[in-house]
Amino acid sequence: MKRYAKFAVCGACAGLANGFFGAGGGLFLIPLFIRWCGLTEEKAFPTSVFVIFPLCVVSAAIYFANGAIDFVFALPYFIGGFSGGIVGGKYFKKIPAGALRRVFGALILYGGIKAAFFL
Amino acid sequence: MTFLLALSAGFIAGAISGMGVGGGTLLVIYLTFICGVSQIESQGINLIYFLFCAAPALVFHIKNSLVEIKPALFSIASGVVAAAAGSFLASYIAVSTLRRFFGALLIYIGIKELFFREKPAEKGRAD
Repeated sequence: MKRYAKFAVCGACAGLANGFFGAGGGLFLIPLFIRWCGLTEEKAFPTSVFVIFPLCVVSAAIYFANGAIDFVFALPYFIGGFSGGIVGGKYFKKIPAGALRRVFGALILYGGIKAAFFL
Repeated sequence: MTFLLALSAGFIAGAISGMGVGGGTLLVIYLTFICGVSQIESQGINLIYFLFCAAPALVFHIKNSLVEIKPALFSIASGVVAAAAGSFLASYIAVSTLRRFFGALLIYIGIKELFFREKPAEKGRAD
């Protein structure tokens, strides 16, 4: 397949996931970029953020139009996210974290089982 | 106090997102389980939160020429259409169903993180 067509397919997958789950676009995009499109790991993450950003704008607008977001309640998360994003971006190259990722994985798995089977 | 707690949760999630691990997913879990926010609203909050969180990092990445801009534009073109479709679908189905789907996604991520993590040294390859 032509290189740009591959990127278009990746974008469609990420968009669908991102709109439906309101999260997780990068989860699909980063591995696809690396394994299928041949991007280096160094570029795959930044490029995926660049792609997901406008997708989030579109999805957020639709969620908002459907009345799903309370801005006053959410404001501190936005402020915290902004400052956290600066810190995380700065140290992005230094992710250590075998143990950290295991904790993350366990937490997510626990959350998933709870959400899927115990409403 | 509630404000401070929310601020810290946002900050921690933001720092994790900035490192590329999936802070947004954790934020949705936090909002639904701990704060009792509905699945659909948590997802909506996460979408906007991501814009705030990713903007500073993105400026930095573009400056450092780490973004493959031209091919990315193709992903964006198809992605925005798919994002609209996904968002409408999420708003259309029952919140409890959405939550189960989200749970399935989490189980997938969790298993992948715990048992099938990519080796840090793995290099990208071109087909």
